[in-house]
Amino acid sequence: MTELQQRLATGKGKFTPLYEDLDTGPVSYEDSISPEFFEAEREAVFKRSWLYVGRSERLPRPGTFFTRELKGLASIVVSRRKDGVVNAFHNVCAHRGNKVVWQEHPQEESKGSCREFACKYHGWRYGLDGRVTHVTNEEEFFGLDKDSLRMPPVHCEEFAGFIFVNLAPDPVPLRTYLGDRLLELEAYPFGEMTQHYGFSAPIRGNWKLAVDSVCEWYHPPYVHARFIDKDIAKAEKMVPPPDSYHYDLFTPHMLTSVPGPPPLPPREPGTAGPAARDQKWVYRLFRAGLFGPDDVPDIGPLPEFLNAGNIKSWGNDQFWLFPNLSVQIWARGFYITYTYWPEAVDKHTYDIDLYFVPPKNAQERLAQELIVDSTIEFAMQDVNTIEATQQGLSTRANRQFHLSDQELLIRKFHKTVRDTVAAHGARDAKEG
Amino acid sequence: MSTTTLPAQFAELEQWVADWARPTRQERYDMRLSKKYDQLEEFYDAIAPRAEEAIDYLNGRDLTDLADDDARLLQLLYSMILVSYAVNVFMQPRIPDSGAAFFNTTAEPAV
Repeated sequence: MTELQQRLATGKGKFTPLYEDLDTGPVSYEDSISPEFFEAEREAVFKRSWLYVGRSERLPRPGTFFTRELKGLASIVVSRRKDGVVNAFHNVCAHRGNKVVWQEHPQEESKGSCREFACKYHGWRYGLDGRVTHVTNEEEFFGLDKDSLRMPPVHCEEFAGFIFVNLAPDPVPLRTYLGDRLLELEAYPFGEMTQHYGFSAPIRGNWKLAVDSVCEWYHPPYVHARFIDKDIAKAEKMVPPPDSYHYDLFTPHMLTSVPGPPPLPPREPGTAGPAARDQKWVYRLFRAGLFGPDDVPDIGPLPEFLNAGNIKSWGNDQFWLFPNLSVQIWARGFYITYTYWPEAVDKHTYDIDLYFVPPKNAQERLAQELIVDSTIEFAMQDVNTIEATQQGLSTRANRQFHLSDQELLIRKFHKTVRDTVAAHGARDAKEG
Repeated sequence: MSTTTLPAQFAELEQWVADWARPTRQERYDMRLSKKYDQLEEFYDAIAPRAEEAIDYLNGRDLTDLADDDARLLQLLYSMILVSYAVNVFMQPRIPDSGAAFFNTTAEPAV
């Protein structure tokens, strides 16, 4: 064991057997390659869960709006009404079904500010709440009940500045869905972090395999070897021991906490040393690394809900909001969201958004740039690995796979999806 | 008359402005992929020795109201960060094994 591993080891032993609803046997990944399962999952999970669609800062004033293309599910408009409330509705005209809100390319998302939405086809207009305000040539229609005409509403609620929608007819309230453990997130100052970078990648792989790729921490010496050490044997020794991570499963959501390196110590300007072809020198120069800036912004005392496992050298908490959102709160005062949008059994879109406190000077700005670039360089390597996994699985040459104790969250996540699909199927059979 | 589009004390970096002083990350990344590895080394080796001085110079400026010359210097530093992975980590312009993977930028700061 290296010094690092000794320092972080807790001697806690194995985690998976602590959870009575989890076994330790091999698993099937049929849920990631079966088209039939994909369709059932879309009905049971995505059409009935609260789905994160964007931060409240995207709607700074009444009249501001953005659209979201939830492929295979809906095209929705999210807007802030005159009374300040955020609401959502389907992007469909009550007249002949045209998509109402779009710019230039109907398939692309748009955003803006307006008093009313006007359909580009025949000029019907809708208020910021989606209700019809104008019917072109109204007198030529037959018994229109104009008061009932609208772009169909979608359940929409805000929590801690995160806007969620739910496509089910009668969902449980968002706060009930999140549960006590996630409600604690509200104590974090997300609203102070308005410096935003966003990225989106198309991936030819099942969305759950992408979730899997960030739910365990022993792939880095292999997938990201060169970032750690060109010698894989040395890179392996740099990874903290399995028991230094913290897990908590509060079905359907879950949490994992990760250790991280301490920030670099303060440095006087002009003391970075001679320029070198060495990434450690670059990190020292720009005072940042993958785990964040060395000069941690003052966002007040950290809320108590963070680092519940008391990791000695805490790096971040990843809150997994079922089904497709991860909110990663980093020890060094920034946060990242991952969102996964399935499009087909073997295709999804992966969004990464990073949020920082606005930088006060060039040093802080450059540190953020380095964190963003590092995150994307790592993520590019993960993306390709997911595509390779999809290809391997889809041959069905193997049907049983093996998860270690470190893959506890992966075991749990797939089980939660399968259980949700099965419960929905059972309900359907009963009602049908 | 000014012969440089950078702050005067960084005039010797002028030859790198045309390619690398670019306002968006996507343009900077496309530039990285368009270059041969030894061209990335040349750029890195030219900027790195002046980087600490450039950071110190820019720290004295208002980030929300940068003059064009100052903004170009900042963009050279952004490019240096992006190129540093290719030079120091991957020893090639592309990330190894990244295949057809790519990320579209959906949001980034104005400066």
